[in-house]
Amino acid sequence: MATDHSMQSKEKAMAAGRRPDSQHGEPKVWLSALGLTVGLLMVVGLLGLILIKGLQVFWPAPVVQMQVKKADGSVETLAGEIRVIQHRRDAAKEGQQIEEILLFMGNKDVFGNAFRYIDTALIESRELPKNIVVAERMEYGDGIFFPVALKRADGAEVTAADAAFYPALQEEVDRVAALRRDIEHIEKKEIGRINKELLQINLKRKALGADALGAEALGAEGDAAALAGLDEEQTRIQAEYEKLAAQARQLRDQLGVSTLTYRLADGQQRDMSVGNLVTFERPNNLGFGGKLLAMVKHGWAFLSGTPREANTEGGIFPAIFGTFVMTVLMSILVTPFGVIAAIYLREYAKQGFLVQAVRISINNLAGVPSIVFGVFGLGFFVYTVGGTIDRFFFSEYLPNPTFGTGGILWASFTLALMTLPVVIVATEEALVAVPRGVREAALACGASKWQTIQRIVLPGALPGILTGVILSMARGAGEVAPLMIVGVVKLAPSLPFDFEAPFIHAERKFMHLGFHIYDLGFQSPDSEAAKPMVFATTLLLIALVVIMNVAAIQIRNHLRRKYAASTF
Amino acid sequence: MSWLIRVGGVGIIVAVFGIFFFVLMEILPLFGTASVEADGERNSGWTGAGVLGVDEWAERPFFFDGRSMHFMDWASGKESTEAIALPEGAVVSCWSFEAGRQWITVGTADGRVGSVQVKYQPTFSGEKRTITSTVSVGEFTPMGLPGVKVEKVADGHAESAQLLAILQHDPAGKPHVFVRCIRVKRGLMGGGKPAVSGEFDLAQQVGGEVSHLLAGASADSLLVVKKDGSVDYFFFENGASMELRQTFQPFAGKADAMIASAGFVFGGGSVVVSSIDGEQQVWSLYNQTVEKQGKTFQQRLFGKTKDLPKMDEAGELFAASRRNKVVMAAAGDFVTLRHTTSESVRWQGHVPFDVANMVMDGKSEHLFFLDGQGGLHRYSYEDPHPEAGWKAFFGKIWYEGASEPSYTWQSTGGTDDFEPKLSLVPLIIGSLKGTLYALVFAVPIALLAAIYSANFLPGKIRNVVKPTMEIMASLPSVVLGFLAGLWLAPLIEQKVPSVLLAILVLPLGTLLLGWAYTKLPVTLRCRVPHGLEFLLLVVPLAILVSAAWAMGPVIESWFFVVKDPGTGKAIADFRMWWPEATGTPYDQRNSLVVGFMMGFAVIPIVFTITDDALSNVPPQLRAASLALGATRWQMVRTVVLPVASAGIFSALMIGFGRAVGETMIVVMATGNTPVMDWNIFSGMRTLSANIAVELPEAPVHSTHYRALFLGAMVLFALTFVLNTVAEILRFRLRERFKLV
Repeated sequence: MATDHSMQSKEKAMAAGRRPDSQHGEPKVWLSALGLTVGLLMVVGLLGLILIKGLQVFWPAPVVQMQVKKADGSVETLAGEIRVIQHRRDAAKEGQQIEEILLFMGNKDVFGNAFRYIDTALIESRELPKNIVVAERMEYGDGIFFPVALKRADGAEVTAADAAFYPALQEEVDRVAALRRDIEHIEKKEIGRINKELLQINLKRKALGADALGAEALGAEGDAAALAGLDEEQTRIQAEYEKLAAQARQLRDQLGVSTLTYRLADGQQRDMSVGNLVTFERPNNLGFGGKLLAMVKHGWAFLSGTPREANTEGGIFPAIFGTFVMTVLMSILVTPFGVIAAIYLREYAKQGFLVQAVRISINNLAGVPSIVFGVFGLGFFVYTVGGTIDRFFFSEYLPNPTFGTGGILWASFTLALMTLPVVIVATEEALVAVPRGVREAALACGASKWQTIQRIVLPGALPGILTGVILSMARGAGEVAPLMIVGVVKLAPSLPFDFEAPFIHAERKFMHLGFHIYDLGFQSPDSEAAKPMVFATTLLLIALVVIMNVAAIQIRNHLRRKYAASTF
Repeated sequence: MSWLIRVGGVGIIVAVFGIFFFVLMEILPLFGTASVEADGERNSGWTGAGVLGVDEWAERPFFFDGRSMHFMDWASGKESTEAIALPEGAVVSCWSFEAGRQWITVGTADGRVGSVQVKYQPTFSGEKRTITSTVSVGEFTPMGLPGVKVEKVADGHAESAQLLAILQHDPAGKPHVFVRCIRVKRGLMGGGKPAVSGEFDLAQQVGGEVSHLLAGASADSLLVVKKDGSVDYFFFENGASMELRQTFQPFAGKADAMIASAGFVFGGGSVVVSSIDGEQQVWSLYNQTVEKQGKTFQQRLFGKTKDLPKMDEAGELFAASRRNKVVMAAAGDFVTLRHTTSESVRWQGHVPFDVANMVMDGKSEHLFFLDGQGGLHRYSYEDPHPEAGWKAFFGKIWYEGASEPSYTWQSTGGTDDFEPKLSLVPLIIGSLKGTLYALVFAVPIALLAAIYSANFLPGKIRNVVKPTMEIMASLPSVVLGFLAGLWLAPLIEQKVPSVLLAILVLPLGTLLLGWAYTKLPVTLRCRVPHGLEFLLLVVPLAILVSAAWAMGPVIESWFFVVKDPGTGKAIADFRMWWPEATGTPYDQRNSLVVGFMMGFAVIPIVFTITDDALSNVPPQLRAASLALGATRWQMVRTVVLPVASAGIFSALMIGFGRAVGETMIVVMATGNTPVMDWNIFSGMRTLSANIAVELPEAPVHSTHYRALFLGAMVLFALTFVLNTVAEILRFRLRERFKLV
């Protein structure tokens, strides 16, 4: 009985003791797991969202034709891409939720607004009509319509029912695209060159002491002769300009010779010059493979094209190029400086309180807000250094600033300064990681300190330095706030690097992917129309930055393994 | 080569710290005072009472003594006198001077009012500038009591209106103030002739000896300063009557409340009055509630807004700048220049002569003084940033037109006489507000995640999880900002109750789940490897969130119901309920959105540093704790967390620094209005966003530009100090672990 009782109580004690004690705090462990889960879901969710939304932009969406009941009871036919399905609270119906769709109807020139919200309840029928065309146009955004007939320059007319219609249309579009390239060449390259020559003449005039308008004020004979020469030159250039302008006009006329007749979903029939057409496709006719192909085509156009229509259409090549050039310029600047500073701190400076303080401060600079660097860049690089350069070397252009305004060079300098701590810290870590034995071996062989560093330490630390540089590039590529102050613009007329002497135009303003996102999303007049473009740009930027970061992490891990394995 | 590295290394480090000094050099001028330097003296021979004026280039001052006009060509020192053709019998007995147009209004001994105007014209030949002047005499018309001497005159000019006021004494010795209001009646064709629209005798209302008459620049108001120190404020009401709106007593309670000088500040919204013992007050017009004849309404009346620092002397002479809110007062050899907005003394001191007359040029770059002996003195006055100063940036200031002192940031305005409001306080509050909400959201997640990852996660999984979280740190803030503003803000705008519910339900649900899990039979629990709870959580978490999402509207219809003022129907809408319940606005782009998105920036930083701090806790300590029978949570709570607390604290500080300086997210995800509240459903304007938005438009080296640099400096100092403290804490922590 006693044993029984003791057995029982022991069991009870065990039962009572085991659970509460061994499981004590377990719910809180779960709570901490929640933190991690939420954090991971945030990353994955965000990346996934951007990936899906970004790729969706290029995917040819089906065009839905629907019958919608109007307020007066009649029925209208609409066609377009369904962009959003959402719920809305209707004030008239006691806070009931109403489902509505955002329909992208295109044809801004006809409807005034390319988007329209439609209550799902009012839609009577939906279908996916074959042969409906989504056309990218030079003006008024996309057009969504049924083609009717194509009238070519020679008067021949092809109707849409004809099998030869779509190839003929494609042929016309290609011809127009070629023409457009020619016009652009003349207007940008040739006329740009002429403008530059004119500017030079005006500068020479200014140098001679006369303003661009009157030459009478001059006294000296020689000057007068020089001026007459300039005048002659100007007339010659003017004549050349007239010729080119006429040529461009003629090409432009050719753009509009063929017309496309089309019918909108609601039955309206309209005409459009094929010169207005950039590309066209029939999404409802495409199979999966066709859509995939179209997606690749869209993606390429996006990557290689130049922006149109306040950046909401076309491609983003200038922004990619600007980001690339700026990042490269920045890393060229930051690497040597960062490495030299790190070598000095780690290898040469006497390790003590002061160096420790400097090291902590540099580490902390990495945490200083980027906008502060932007402020410094504007005050120092742009106004102080740039202003001085202008005064000494470009005084003939004043008061128009050359270097005394934001530009790609100053942006690179600013970002280089901002990312300098990253490189210094990474390089220092890499230098520390080089085993002591290797250095000592080198020194024992009679190498000088610099020889040791140059031949032994630096090669060993190279992957670490590379990690730092890549991290700094990733940070620089994604940073926008300081750039807004020191030279990024929404639309740069020319690239900072081209085939015109002196090839690198470090003073030019430039476009940037990050700023492109900001500008499109928040400064654009039609933010709904700009959204796809923003998501696509975002996808590109994120991909760029994430790839660089993953590469850096990989190199770092590889490095760690390498040094963990090597023993001296 | 070593030498090169040394020079280069030191140079780079010095250059990096040069940032600090450069920014400092940019903001130092903000805290300087004005410099006033003697800039020559000419013997003009101008003595006695008169009007002293000058052109805006400070090259050709004039002096009008009532009979003729004298000019001084400053460069050559030549004085010339121009006789002016006053009407027959007109003897000038008093005058008032409007420096902006060099317009002198005169009253005559025989009861007439007229005007004399000086016009300056610059002509350029090459680089050289010469100033020529012409004097024109306006029409003289009788006013007030016929044939009686005009003792004081005041003239207020607006674009299409004029208000003339004179003081006369009738034969019985009673003071009369006569007012004549002139309006330009616009015809259909736009042109118009000025016509008198009202003549008034204010003798009844004034009823006392008058010391100064001041006509407002908007030509609809008149201030009558009386010898007993009280001021009557008359307003030309509805083009019909001159209404006495207010009588106020600036130096009430003083033995001698007499007013030595009074004058308008640039812009006409404020009056500066000086007492005879040197006290100076600013009275401004602002909306006040008045009760008259049983009715309560708002009216713009004068109220004392500022006490300027006391002067050494009475300040009998008064002049105002025509560029900013600087005023000058002088008495004897004492001269003082004050900025009325910031209440700061820009300069004051004694000049080596007694000032008899003075004027400030149109650009506020030169001061002219006439001593009693005919010497004309020019002083250069340089004060690029009068509106700056500690009080302007960090103090509460009573701005013109405001009904109380406030902290305001409003750097640019539409008009010339705009008063820049440069208080950094709302911006600092905005920065702290954004940071607070970011941290409230991010810190729990980051800390919990770090605790889990450092203590419970198997090494292999940790090697994947940690870099994934670190990828979050590399997401460009412009992307986060764009998603916050264009995707998240509209998404949660209608779903606030759902979001709140989810925030509440998630931790509670997880705790409950954990508790339920411990109740499961051990055979079932064994199958789940330790350290995979976070994966198990994904599904219940998704269920909880979607349930909360769906329940949101239901909760809304229970708790957040308002009556629609239009229809009287009850509507369940949080967006309408919130302003009604709390009195604070609801914005689409609000702190909740900012806090959430800023979480992406803050979580990885706090997570990484905390994770490092926790996993650096020596394994012996953990082992010992577990060996003594602690559960894994007990081990974490009682051993790991206390040991790593310094590291966690430093992680929080670095996270704070990151959030304070964040720019793009805030620019894009808030309305960028400088506000002073802590309402979670309204936006803010942070220091960093303010710089990004305004710096591109600020003129170089202007006060605005430097004030933005000051904002940058505040950010710089804040983050630098925080990071340094955090770094030192971490260093200490490392030392402590070495000992263990």
